[in-house]
Amino acid sequence: MEVERLPRGRHGLSREFVAQNQRERLLAALAECLHENGYDGTTVSMVGKRAGVSKSDFYKQFESKDVCFLAAYDDSVERIRARVLAACGGGADWATGVLTGLAALLDLLAAEPAQAQLVLVEGLRAGRGVYDRYQEALQSFVPRLRDGAPAPAGGDPPPPATDEAVVGGIASLLARRVLAGEAEKLGEFLPEIAEFALTPYLGATEARRIISER
Amino acid sequence: MPPRAKARARAETVAPSPRPELSREFVAVHKRRRIMDAIAELTAEQGYDATKIGDIVRRAGVARKTLYDNFEGKEEVFLAAFDAAVDEAMRRIEEDCAKVEGGWEERVQAGLASFLGYVAEEPALARMCMIEALSATKAATERYEDAVQRFVDLTKQNVPHDDQLPETIEETLVGGVAWIVYQQIRRQETEKAEDLLPELSEFMLAPFHGAADAAAKRAGA
Repeated sequence: MEVERLPRGRHGLSREFVAQNQRERLLAALAECLHENGYDGTTVSMVGKRAGVSKSDFYKQFESKDVCFLAAYDDSVERIRARVLAACGGGADWATGVLTGLAALLDLLAAEPAQAQLVLVEGLRAGRGVYDRYQEALQSFVPRLRDGAPAPAGGDPPPPATDEAVVGGIASLLARRVLAGEAEKLGEFLPEIAEFALTPYLGATEARRIISER
Repeated sequence: MPPRAKARARAETVAPSPRPELSREFVAVHKRRRIMDAIAELTAEQGYDATKIGDIVRRAGVARKTLYDNFEGKEEVFLAAFDAAVDEAMRRIEEDCAKVEGGWEERVQAGLASFLGYVAEEPALARMCMIEALSATKAATERYEDAVQRFVDLTKQNVPHDDQLPETIEETLVGGVAWIVYQQIRRQETEKAEDLLPELSEFMLAPFHGAADAAAKRAGA
């Protein structure tokens, strides 16, 4: 995520505007620092330096590294969720919605490995405060998968835990690839992940047909 | 009694000085085991960061020196406890799978039942391995992923091979099962872990039915 720095000196920009811009720069810088140095290796001065924001301005925005971290985490999750849900909504039906949503997710994470690292791996290292956020973030995709899902032709609907297990399974695979330093290649997994997600509801044949037509 | 003396007194009752009938080796192994158990309990209760060396030795009833004679520090204790728990889970699962006389479905189901049984029996170990390991340290996260890989490999060994399935199918299935169990641990409902068996079995087995049906048809033809 690139956030432009503002011109130095007198620029006639409102104080709120400057503060908001600094905040966004700090959040982006934190994600990048985490990506490079991990949670424990990231310090407030590193983040400030990367963002071009003084230490005292950092503390005007955030009480501590942890507070900045949680804000960056929420911000990142929200951007990913908004993008994915918007993409899902663009699908003509349930299956194409899920497929386009997954494609948007993988594209976004591949384009922004620092965000992928923040949300899926390094973020959890911030400790227990993040557990609820991580769980909520994942669970927020569950209704999107469950609602409107058809039962496979001639079969029973999948057991209730399926929706959550599918979302969790995808998150686990993505986290493993990000941890292995392969975030940029996540797009390649779209056909596999989509088949994993669609098959419980549509059966393998129909899932493969829809994916191959994309 | 001042707290320190009390702790020492407790330490002495928990760990009697080596009696003649207990070999030195037995006592050493036993102490190591207690240190590992202590970190499992403590991280499950309060998280990895909040757990200090002082807490560990107090809970284990051993001297600080004993801990440092056995481990370099907190992270090494944690990783050793993690490995021991995963090894034990794998051992039980493999043992239960080997006992099954039926086909692959029964084997997978037995393995899953064995895993869920372990979670139900050892809530602190389950929490340490499946939740706290992800937030503890980088090495712990890597160890977690290695453990996931062991479960992935074990699944692969026990399901029919199907070229048409995604190459990552076992990874996503294991990850999905782990996520459901993760949430159950967080809800502190591990005693009900075995209730998940029917749903998780169906979730894990379903993708492989295509290959199995085809194989059965070929065998019947």
